[in-house]
Amino acid sequence: MSGDPKGRADATLRSKLHVASVLALATVLLTALTAHAVNDGASGGLASPESFASIDDTAARSAAIFIELGKVLTHARCVNCHPAGDRPRQGEQRRLHQPPVERGPDGLGLAAMRCSNCHQEKNFDPARMPGNPHWQLAPHEMAWEGKSLGEICAQIKDRDRNGGRSLEDLVHHIDSDSLVGWAWAPGYGRHPATGSQKEAGALAEAWVKAGAVCPQ
Amino acid sequence: MRLSRREFVKWSTASGITVALSRLAPAQEPPFAARETLPGAGRWNPAADGKGRIDGVAKAAGAKLYASDFRAADLPGWPASTSHALLIRAPDATHVYTGIDLARLQGALKPSVVVDAAELARIGARVPQFYAGDLFCPIGRTPIYLGQPVALLIFEKFDTFDQARLVLRDGAFVQFGGETGPVSLPNYGAFRFTRVAGPSSDAPDIYSPAQAGWVSPPHVQNTQLPAWSPSAAAPGSPYAKAAQYGEQIRAELRNDKADVLVLEREFQTQSVDPMFLEPECGLAWYDTGRGALEFVVGVQSPYEAGESIAYLLGEARAPFKPKRINAQFAYMGGGFGGRDHTPFPLYVALAAMFFPGHPVRLAHDRYAQFQAGIKRHRFDMHTRIGIDRASGEITAFAADHVLDGGGLANYSANVATVAATAAIGIYDIPKVDVTTVALHTRGVTAGSMRGYGTLQTMTALEVLIDEVAHALPLDRIELRRRNALKPGGRTMTGNPYSVSVRTAEILDKLETHPIWQQRGEEKARAQAGRLSGTGVACATKDYGTGADCSLGRVEIGPDGRIAIYCDHVEMGTGIGTALANRVAVQLGSVADEVSVARVDTFGALALVTSGDPYTMTQAAQDAAQRNPAWVPAISTATTASIGAHVGTHAAAAAARVIFRFGLWPAALDLWRIAPSDAKARQWDAAQWKDGQLLVPGLAPLPLPAIAQRAHARNFVTGAMAHAFSRWAWSQASFAIDGQTWTADIDALAVKRGVGTFRRLDRTNVKFPPTDFNRFGTTYTSLCGTLVRIEIERATGAHRIAKAYSVFECGQALVPEVVRGQAQGGFAMGVGYALLESLPPFEGGPGNGRWNLGRYLIARGSDLPLRDLEIEMLPPLPNEAPKGIAEVVMIPVVPALLNAIFDATGHRFHSLPVTQPMIRGVLS
Amino acid sequence: MTALRITINGRSYGPVEVHDDLTLNDFLREYLGLTGTKFGCGAAQCLCCAVIVDDPDGTSHTSPSCAVSAASFNGKSIRTVEGHAKDGELSALQKAFIEHFAFQCGYCTPGFLNEAQVLLERLARKPVARGELEKTIAEALDGHLCRCTGYIKYHEAVRDVILAEPGRYLLAKAAGELQ
Repeated sequence: MSGDPKGRADATLRSKLHVASVLALATVLLTALTAHAVNDGASGGLASPESFASIDDTAARSAAIFIELGKVLTHARCVNCHPAGDRPRQGEQRRLHQPPVERGPDGLGLAAMRCSNCHQEKNFDPARMPGNPHWQLAPHEMAWEGKSLGEICAQIKDRDRNGGRSLEDLVHHIDSDSLVGWAWAPGYGRHPATGSQKEAGALAEAWVKAGAVCPQ
Repeated sequence: MRLSRREFVKWSTASGITVALSRLAPAQEPPFAARETLPGAGRWNPAADGKGRIDGVAKAAGAKLYASDFRAADLPGWPASTSHALLIRAPDATHVYTGIDLARLQGALKPSVVVDAAELARIGARVPQFYAGDLFCPIGRTPIYLGQPVALLIFEKFDTFDQARLVLRDGAFVQFGGETGPVSLPNYGAFRFTRVAGPSSDAPDIYSPAQAGWVSPPHVQNTQLPAWSPSAAAPGSPYAKAAQYGEQIRAELRNDKADVLVLEREFQTQSVDPMFLEPECGLAWYDTGRGALEFVVGVQSPYEAGESIAYLLGEARAPFKPKRINAQFAYMGGGFGGRDHTPFPLYVALAAMFFPGHPVRLAHDRYAQFQAGIKRHRFDMHTRIGIDRASGEITAFAADHVLDGGGLANYSANVATVAATAAIGIYDIPKVDVTTVALHTRGVTAGSMRGYGTLQTMTALEVLIDEVAHALPLDRIELRRRNALKPGGRTMTGNPYSVSVRTAEILDKLETHPIWQQRGEEKARAQAGRLSGTGVACATKDYGTGADCSLGRVEIGPDGRIAIYCDHVEMGTGIGTALANRVAVQLGSVADEVSVARVDTFGALALVTSGDPYTMTQAAQDAAQRNPAWVPAISTATTASIGAHVGTHAAAAAARVIFRFGLWPAALDLWRIAPSDAKARQWDAAQWKDGQLLVPGLAPLPLPAIAQRAHARNFVTGAMAHAFSRWAWSQASFAIDGQTWTADIDALAVKRGVGTFRRLDRTNVKFPPTDFNRFGTTYTSLCGTLVRIEIERATGAHRIAKAYSVFECGQALVPEVVRGQAQGGFAMGVGYALLESLPPFEGGPGNGRWNLGRYLIARGSDLPLRDLEIEMLPPLPNEAPKGIAEVVMIPVVPALLNAIFDATGHRFHSLPVTQPMIRGVLS
Repeated sequence: MTALRITINGRSYGPVEVHDDLTLNDFLREYLGLTGTKFGCGAAQCLCCAVIVDDPDGTSHTSPSCAVSAASFNGKSIRTVEGHAKDGELSALQKAFIEHFAFQCGYCTPGFLNEAQVLLERLARKPVARGELEKTIAEALDGHLCRCTGYIKYHEAVRDVILAEPGRYLLAKAAGELQ
C-alpha cells in the first residue's frame, strides 16, 4: 500500500465494502437456507458436501455446510426431544406431548410415566408408537428448541454441553447413533428427517474438516 | 361372593400352534341378560346401605358389561367364532367417489364380503327417515359429508381383519374423480320464537308461541339462509304475524335511546366430540335357521334402534329380511347424547345380514369414532340486548342462531329449537325474538350432546350479561337478581314452569360464597406476573323432551328380594341405583336384581302406538286413546337429564302398587287388622326403617315376613307400568281389589303370588294436551358457578384456583351420584371452554386422522381437584326428583370466560379460549 | 410371527402363534376374551387399556396394551383387572372405588385400578411424606383420562386407601410434623 491517506482510506472502505457484501451475501444465504432448514416437508434431501465446493472461503463453506445439516437439527423429529423445558413435543405441529410427560430426574420420565412404559425398543407401527432402546429427553444443556442454528452449533461443539464429546465423537454420533438414526425411520405417521443418517454424517464430517465453523 | 367367570381356551401345546378360539362349553356362559342384571341375586350389593352403586362390583371387577366386551363365544347358543367388519368411510366430500381399490387385499387378506350402495339397493334396504341420506355413498356421487361410509368389508377371521385394517388405514384406496365442490342440501329446520309480554305479569301475553303455535319461515328460494322478513310470508299468516312482532322488537333495539343500553355481540362456539371412552361397537348374528337377527349394542335409544333396524330390513328381499330381531342392550362406556339415535346399529345389522350364519363384530377405533361419531353443533350467534339503565332491567332481546348440523339431519332441528327457547336463560324478558336455522354442511353429523344447544346459547348469554353488568355498571349478581324469572313467571314460549324456580336462593348462595366475597382482595394480592379473576354465571336447563316414556316392572319374591326392569339405559348416570333407591322407598329394601335397557320385558302391557307425539292434533290423540292399550309412544331415548325424573317414574309407580295391594294387605294380615278397620287405611303413616315396616302403635314387621305373607295370600307381588310425559304426566285409573287406583301412569299390569302378569283395563285416561307441544319446557333445574382463575402473564398459562357450583335437583335419589355428575360436568365444562376444538371440514375429524393427543379433554391436572366445592340445595317438601346431568356443566363455561375477562380485561367471544389466545391478548 | 408365552394374573398362557403386529390389547380381548382390559383410543392417550407389567427386578409399571405388541411380551408377566380380587375378595382399591362412587360409566376404571395398584406397590417400597401424598397421586393418575367423573372421587379413593395404612405407604412422622 502507498502512503497515500486517501488511497488507504479508499482501500479500507473498499475492503469494508467487500466484507460487508460478503456478510450480506452470507446473511441472505443464511436466511434463505435457514428458512429452508426449518421446512419439515419430506421434500428434497440433503445436499452432499461436494455441492459446497464452490464456496472458496473455508470458514464460509463450513458454516454453509452446517446450515445444510441444520435441516436435520431443526427438524421436528429432533427438536421434539430437545425441548427448552421439561416436556417433550410431538408431531409435525410440535405440540406439547400428550399425555403430559416430564423429564424427571433422569430424563426418562416421572415415576408413573417412564418413557419406556409406552416407547419400546423399536417403533410399533400399528399404534403409530415410535420406539428406540434409548428413548429419552435430551438433557437441558442439549436443548435446541427456540435456538438459532448458530446457537445450536456453539452448543454442540461445547464439551461442557455436549456430553464431553470431541468433534470426532460428534461426527460419529450423528453418523451412527441409534437414537439419532431413529429420526430417519420414525415410523408410520411421522415425516422422516431430511436426507439420511449417512448423508447427515457426511455433512457433519465435512463441516468439521472445514473447521467446524458456526454460522452467525 | 361370586364374580364373573372366565372360560379360557385349552391351548393345544403339541404343535405350539393355536387351535380354534372357541371357548369351552359355550352353553355354560350365562345369558346376556343375567350379566347385565346387577348386582345379581345373592351377590354383594353396595347400594343396599348406600355404600355404592348397583353396578359397582361388576365395574370394579372388570366384568363383561359393555357391548365391546362381548364376542360370539360369550353368548349362549351363538356360534363360537366371531368375524369382524370394517366400515370404510370417505375422507373427502368435494370430489366424486369412484370406488375402492382393494388390490392391496389380495389372497389371504381378501374380505369375505363387500357391502356397498349397490348391494344395499339390490336387497331393497330402506333408510329410516331419521337417518335420511345414503347409508353408503354410491359410486358416481360426491359424498354428502366427510366420513360418509362407502363400503363395509367383512372378514371371517380376526387376524385377517387385523392385517387388512393396517394395510388400508392410509385411506388412499378410497378413490375420487373430478372436483364438484360440496353437495348442497336443504337446511334441517328453521324456526322463529317471538314473545311480547302484556303490560303486567298477570296480564296475558300479547303474542307468544304457546298462544299462537310455533312458526317457521316459508321456503321461498334456494338460499343458504331462510328469508326471515315478514314480507316473505303471506300477510296474516302465522309466520308473518310472529315476524312482524319480531321486527318491531328489533327496530326498538336499533333506536338509539339514551336511557337504554343496547349491546350487540357475535359469539361463536366450536364443534366438539362427546369423547365417551368406549367407541361405538356392536355384535350381531343372523341365524338363518330361525330367521332371527340377534344383536348386541350399547345405545341410549334401544327401542328406536330395534325399530330402525326393523325398518331397514322391513322390505328387504329374501333372504335379507329376518323373521325376528332379538336385540340386547348393554351398559355403555359413556354416552352424553352421542349414543342417542346414532346410525351405527344399522351397519351392525347389515354386517350380520350380509354374512349370514356368522356372528360379526363392527367396532369403531378412535379415529373412526372421531370421524363418524355424533358431534356437538357449532353455533354462530348474533345477539342484541337492551337494558334500561336506571332500573337495570332487560327490556328486549333479539338473536339469530346458525347451527352447523353437519352431514345428516339427526336431531339438528330439535337442538335448534331447544337452544333458541333457552336463549334467555334464567331471565324474564318481556320482548324476545330469536331466529334459528340448522344447516347441512359437509362436516361430521351433529346431534344430541349434553346441553343440547342450550350450552351454546346460555354461554353466549351469560358472557353478554357479564358485559352488560360491566357496561352499566351494576354488580353482576344484582343484575341477575333484578332480571331473574320469578316462580310462576312466563318463559320465552309464554308458559310458566310447573316446578320450583329457585333462582333467588342460587344467586344468594353465589353472592355470599367466599370466592365471590374475596374477589377484590384476591385480585389485589395476585403475585407479580400473575393475574387473578373471578367469574360467575347462572343457568337453568330443562329436563325432558316433551315426549318421554317410562317403563318399569317391579317384582318382590317370597323372600323379600326385589327385581326391577326398566327401559332406560345406563351410561354412567347411575339409573340402576336410582331405580333401586326410589323403589326402596315403597318396598323397604334395595333391589339386588336391576335390569336396565330392557324394552323386551313389558309384553303384558300389550301397548300400541301411532302418530307422532310432537305433532299430533288433539282430535287425533282423543280418537287414538279410545283404544285402551294406546299410548303416544312406547319407549323413548335416555337423554335430556331424565334418568331420575322420567326413568324411575314408572318403576316407582309400580312399586307403590305392590305396596298398596301386596305388602300393605299382607302387613294388615300379619297384624290381624280387618280391612274394615280404620287402621287399615293408614298406609300414608307407614315408613320403612332398616328393612322393617313401621306404623305408630303397631309392631314393626320385617320385609321378608310381609313378602312371604303376600305370596301366601296371593296378593299383588309384581307390577308393570307405563307412563308418558308431555311436560306433565299421563294419568289413569285402574280397578284393583275392588278399589279405584289413580296414578300418573297410563298402563298397568299386576302379578299375584308367583303368577303371571295380567293387564288391567284403564279408565279415565288423561294424556297431556297436545298444545303442550307449544311449550319450550315446563321442567327446569338451576345451577350457578363461581370460578377463580389465575393467569401467568408471560405465557397465558391458566390455573383454576377455586370453584363452586350450587344447584337444585329436587329429591336426589343417589346423592353421591349427583355429586359425581356435578364434578364430571365441571370437568366437561373446562374442556369445552378451554381445551376442546375440532376444525370444520377438511381439517377436522371427518378426514379420519383425529385422535386423542390432538384433541384435548380435561385431565386431572387441568382441574381444581381439591378446590371444587359442590353444593346441592335440599329439596322442597315432597319435591319429586328433577334432572341435573346437563345443567351442572352449563354455567361453568361462561363463568370461566367471565373470570378470564376479570383477570385480563379481555372479553373473548368464541370458544375455546386457549392458552396461546390468552397469551396473545396479554402481550 | 412369534410363539408367545406370557403369564397373566399368575397363570401361564401359550405358546400361541401371534403376528408381530398384534397388539397386546387385541391378544387379551380377542384371543383370550379377557375384556376387563378396555380399548379406548389405540394411541396410548387415554390409558383405559393399561395393564400392570411385573418386571424381573421386583418392580412393576403400567403399559398401554393398545400401543405395544403382544409379541414383545414374550416371557413376561402381567396383571389385569381380572387379577385384582383374590378368592372372590375384592382388593382394597376395588372396594374403595366402589364405596367412594369413584366411577360412573366404569370404562376407564380397570386402567385406574392398575395404575393405583402400581402406585401402592411403589409407595410400599418407597414411602412419601404425607404432605407429598396428593401430588404423588395426581402425578400417578394424570395419564388416565376419564370423561364422566372429573377425577375427584378417584383421587379421594386412592388417598383413603393409603391413609388407611399410613405405616405402609407414608414416611413416619417427623417430630412435630402434622400428618
